[in-house]
Amino acid sequence: MYFPSTHAWSRQETLGEHMERRGVSRRDFLQFCGEICVMLGISQALTPRVAEALQNVRRPSVIWLQLQECTGCVESVLRTADPTIGDLVLDLVSLDYQHTLMAAAGDAAEAALHASMEENHGGYILLVTGSVPLEENGIYLTIGGRTGLEIIREAAEGAAAVIAIGACAHFGSVQSARPNPTGAVGISEIVTDKPVVNIAGCPPIGDVVTATVVHYLTFGRLPELDGDGRPLFAYGARIHDQCPRRAHFDAGQYVEEFDDEGARKAWCLYQVGCKGPATFSPCPIFQWNDHTDWPIGAGHPCIGCTERHFWDTMTPFYKRLPDVAGFGVERNADLFGAAAAIGAVAGVAAHAAATGVHRARQKKAGIPLPVVPDVGGGAPAPSKPSGEEESNG
Amino acid sequence: MEAGTLAPSESLGRGVPVEYKRVYLWHWPIRAMHWIAALCIVSLVVTGFYIGKPYFMTGGEPSDHFLMGRVRFVHFVSAGLLVATAIVRSYWLFVGNKYERWRALFPYHREDWSNLWLVLKKYFFVQPWKAPHYMGHNPLQQLAYTSIYGIALLQVLTGFHMYGLAEPGGFFAVAFGWVGPLLGGTQIARFLHHVLTWVWVIFLPIHFYLTIRADVLHHESRVTSIVSGGRYVRADIEFVDD
Ligand code: SF4
Repeated sequence: MYFPSTHAWSRQETLGEHMERRGVSRRDFLQFCGEICVMLGISQALTPRVAEALQNVRRPSVIWLQLQECTGCVESVLRTADPTIGDLVLDLVSLDYQHTLMAAAGDAAEAALHASMEENHGGYILLVTGSVPLEENGIYLTIGGRTGLEIIREAAEGAAAVIAIGACAHFGSVQSARPNPTGAVGISEIVTDKPVVNIAGCPPIGDVVTATVVHYLTFGRLPELDGDGRPLFAYGARIHDQCPRRAHFDAGQYVEEFDDEGARKAWCLYQVGCKGPATFSPCPIFQWNDHTDWPIGAGHPCIGCTERHFWDTMTPFYKRLPDVAGFGVERNADLFGAAAAIGAVAGVAAHAAATGVHRARQKKAGIPLPVVPDVGGGAPAPSKPSGEEESNG
Repeated sequence: MEAGTLAPSESLGRGVPVEYKRVYLWHWPIRAMHWIAALCIVSLVVTGFYIGKPYFMTGGEPSDHFLMGRVRFVHFVSAGLLVATAIVRSYWLFVGNKYERWRALFPYHREDWSNLWLVLKKYFFVQPWKAPHYMGHNPLQQLAYTSIYGIALLQVLTGFHMYGLAEPGGFFAVAFGWVGPLLGGTQIARFLHHVLTWVWVIFLPIHFYLTIRADVLHHESRVTSIVSGGRYVRADIEFVDD
């Protein structure tokens, strides 16, 4: 437990000095830097460098915008029973504007936002949670009388880095699911002139946010990203490939219902709809709530929340295949497939029977199957054989 | 699928001499590819349905079993082999004879399109004598087999995309990473990959039936053509693609 802040991190103070004032020992601080190195997937040998860079950091200006969202990400990132140094770092950097947490309200809060944006123009870090609705000129989200679209455009313009936290800021999450009535989109669709880091997840793991911010503070640039703007150090591997239940998957041992023997034995959740095979996230490694547990560890299949449009493509959550067409095809696809296959066999049988009948009738009528009327004529099919009408009937 | 309604010799009355000649259609690489691909497809369908819904389970310690692991192994090896046959087949599209070349993939001439209609009618017992005769594939067969190639291609693309997920940055992830996002997500790719499997289950009985039917009814020696490479055809009949 670290001391509460008696006064805010001042501009003159370095992070190292401030931490010392709050009771963080050198040893704890180095350990934290070591952990961050592990998370970022960089060499432990760099720990001193990270520590040095971090402790000499002057207070960065951070603005945290909350747009169309449920505040769950803020909860996930900020609330833990026992604040870690990571939380401290985040507490510290989220000072300038965070409308849920800040003391100021109303005009005073908006004034603080504008003051900070002007003062640190081009230098502040912009954290965003929540999506931006575009439908009807964005009136579905207004803060202080201005639409989310205006706010994010203005704030992003002067930002040094934009970090989109959570599935809403990533792609619009549940409000962007079909039919997306408010026209919600993620931040990367609004801010196109600078890189946007997507800390994907609903909600994401707080440690990933911390590590990304620390990376920026240490190296002065954002971490490497994957094709979807997610930091590779966290989203570089699939859940399925890091899952402690994987041995059961390979062995052919599956939970079929949530109260069966397989569930009690912690077998693989593939058959109850686990989306781990399609989901990139560090959940199995970082875990939640101080590394206590994570969904699959607790016996619930992964719902794929770090993937774009997971509400549309990963649902139903307890089935293997998505409901692509929106009317239960996933349940019926195999049924239709099997029906069509049986239909094909039946069709073949019917055609064979029809062939038999056709031939029998021709035989009865004394008509040889008269495709080619006579030998040696060389005339192909088109010439009309005698008794055509009968053979056709 | 089978074509070319050809009068069986006996329909001309027993004892009427009919001349047959042998034509060579399929070179050995085509035949080898056909049968290797057939085996791969059967193996892919069977293992694929297991991977989609593992209907056998094992008990005891996971370290004693590797059921899904082995099934996936067979699936991946079969897929690789199928792609190998596709590569040989694609090469042969440019060096093969006129029945094997890329032009034989589609009804190419206007005449072929009108013949398509006649062939279709023949399958429904409507004026079967009007249907023209083809040595190789008739227009309907061309369309059917080329569609089947297309289905296989879709399944290979979606399959390799999913295969690549296990090794981000690896060859398959880089080469086929675009497939998922293009379709709207990996799960959509998985869905397509799964439902398209049924096409093979539907295709096979029809394929068997029509091929064997042509042999039984019309003595077209179609089955042997994919084994020995050649067909015996009536010498007195004109073939569109002779
Ligand atoms: S529980 Fe999910 S992620 Fe884990 S092995 Fe099974 S399918 Fe894969």
